[in-house]
Amino acid sequence: MTVDLTAPVVTATSTRRRQEWPFYLSAAVIVLAVIAAVLAPLVAPYSPSQTDFAALWQPPSATHWLGTDQLGRDILSRVIHGARPSLLGAIALLAVATVLGVLIGITAAWKGGWVDTALSRITDVMFAFPGLLFVVLVIAVFDRGQVTSVLGMALAYAPAIAKFTRSIALEEMARPYVDAYRLQGVGGAVLCGKYLLPNLLPTLVGYLVVLFGEGLMSLASLNFLGFGSQPPSSEWGLMVQEGRTGVIQGIVGPALIPGLTIAIVVVATNVVGVRLSDKLAVRK
Amino acid sequence: MSVLAVDKLGKTFPGRRGQQPVVAARDISFLVEAGGSLGVVGESGSGKTTVARMLVGLTSPDQGKVMVEGRETSKPERGRAARLRRAREIQMVFQDPYTSLDRRLSVESCLRDVLNRHRPELAKAQAAAEIGNLLDQVGLASKLTASRPHELSGGQRQRVAIARALAVRPRVLVLDEAVSALDVSVQAKILTLLNELRAALGIALVFVSHDLAVVGEVTDRILVMYRGDDVEQNATAELLRRPRHPYTQMLLSSAPGPGWQPERVAELRAAFALTEGRS
Repeated sequence: MTVDLTAPVVTATSTRRRQEWPFYLSAAVIVLAVIAAVLAPLVAPYSPSQTDFAALWQPPSATHWLGTDQLGRDILSRVIHGARPSLLGAIALLAVATVLGVLIGITAAWKGGWVDTALSRITDVMFAFPGLLFVVLVIAVFDRGQVTSVLGMALAYAPAIAKFTRSIALEEMARPYVDAYRLQGVGGAVLCGKYLLPNLLPTLVGYLVVLFGEGLMSLASLNFLGFGSQPPSSEWGLMVQEGRTGVIQGIVGPALIPGLTIAIVVVATNVVGVRLSDKLAVRK
Repeated sequence: MSVLAVDKLGKTFPGRRGQQPVVAARDISFLVEAGGSLGVVGESGSGKTTVARMLVGLTSPDQGKVMVEGRETSKPERGRAARLRRAREIQMVFQDPYTSLDRRLSVESCLRDVLNRHRPELAKAQAAAEIGNLLDQVGLASKLTASRPHELSGGQRQRVAIARALAVRPRVLVLDEAVSALDVSVQAKILTLLNELRAALGIALVFVSHDLAVVGEVTDRILVMYRGDDVEQNATAELLRRPRHPYTQMLLSSAPGPGWQPERVAELRAAFALTEGRS
């Protein structure tokens, strides 16, 4: 019998690496989006608001790699510049929702009794209300704009985070080390902030990364409907809305490219979030 | 003088929907001297852990009180100073060494955290020396200071948990099934350690366990619990030699060892069931 010594050796590590390519690809997409957001003025070939009425609805070419929109603006530059308001909006949404949700969830779990019942019922009612409808109501009261849409959306996301935090906090509080801290004389606020919360973070982070993708999508939907960012912003949802008129004329690029960008970033954050949750759960 | 005095402690938990309330403890009273030790034994569900949790204030009793050096400790404390004072009166070591330590903290961080809270007057070098002393007291090698809980064995973790409780310098230490999760050789080492600490530091011990043989190793007196009741209380040697209550006799006979007779256990169980039926 002969053995082919030139055949590649398949090890557990190499198999695992091959299976993890979606994670690495998704992480690369997120890094790319963040770089675009941070270095937009340096890496974008044109200004996002620079119009060229001699080059309306141009298809991809050497001068405009992804073509131009209805005002002759370079789509690639607008997508790169759009990363900033799109990602910042989702980050701000998640930050506000996380602070609110974690505070409500951890307080409900820690206090228990009527405080838990009251907070749980409030979050249940808010949870049952469709998020987008809730934001539209907030916008109807406080007028449209990116700040209103982000804050409204944060209020809509907070109940889900509160419910999740409450459930993992209750699970964590059943561990005797929490009782040990109580017996050492540690007060409720310090115990929750200094000891309980850091132990919840690994589970919470994975969930929040997945939620980030959802948040990005929701904000883009609001902007598409005209409730959030206003022109001349190059926010991706708004770009899709502005590119709609081209679709009727058979020019799909101006709407499709920002739409695809949103989809790719959302899928990437979901893949990274799920993998991160798994990794952190194993370590825990 | 008794350092720990427990007077008619009682706790009833409300029954689940449609079920009767559960009496976890009824009229439990005992005294423990400084440097003395009491074992609380009984089968699962006898109310031992409820009593242990009431002693340290984690569960509030429906009736009765717990006094440590004449001060009632069974009521919830308000304010940082009162909580810290309570901590210095009574501490507890839990059953599961895998979840009773904060997984983020190394052995050193865990002990330093307690020292910072309870003995803030210690300078950094003094605190480090004290951590060394504590590890020495519980028989842990100083090279383990940087280890996190997942890097330690069950026995090592339980020693860290004991060191953490001792760092507060409590007057009373309650151990709830503290060696049940450990293998027999590690159990023996921890029991020896507890006896040494009791003698050296004059701490009063309350040792809660289902295992009479283990309790016999570390305690002067034993209280036997059955369905929340104190069915027998006596000096350890006397109780192990001449158990009066049929339940205690059954517990003793149930412990596997030389001369263990399963048929005798069945006989005693039947006898105990009859006695219980009559009462």
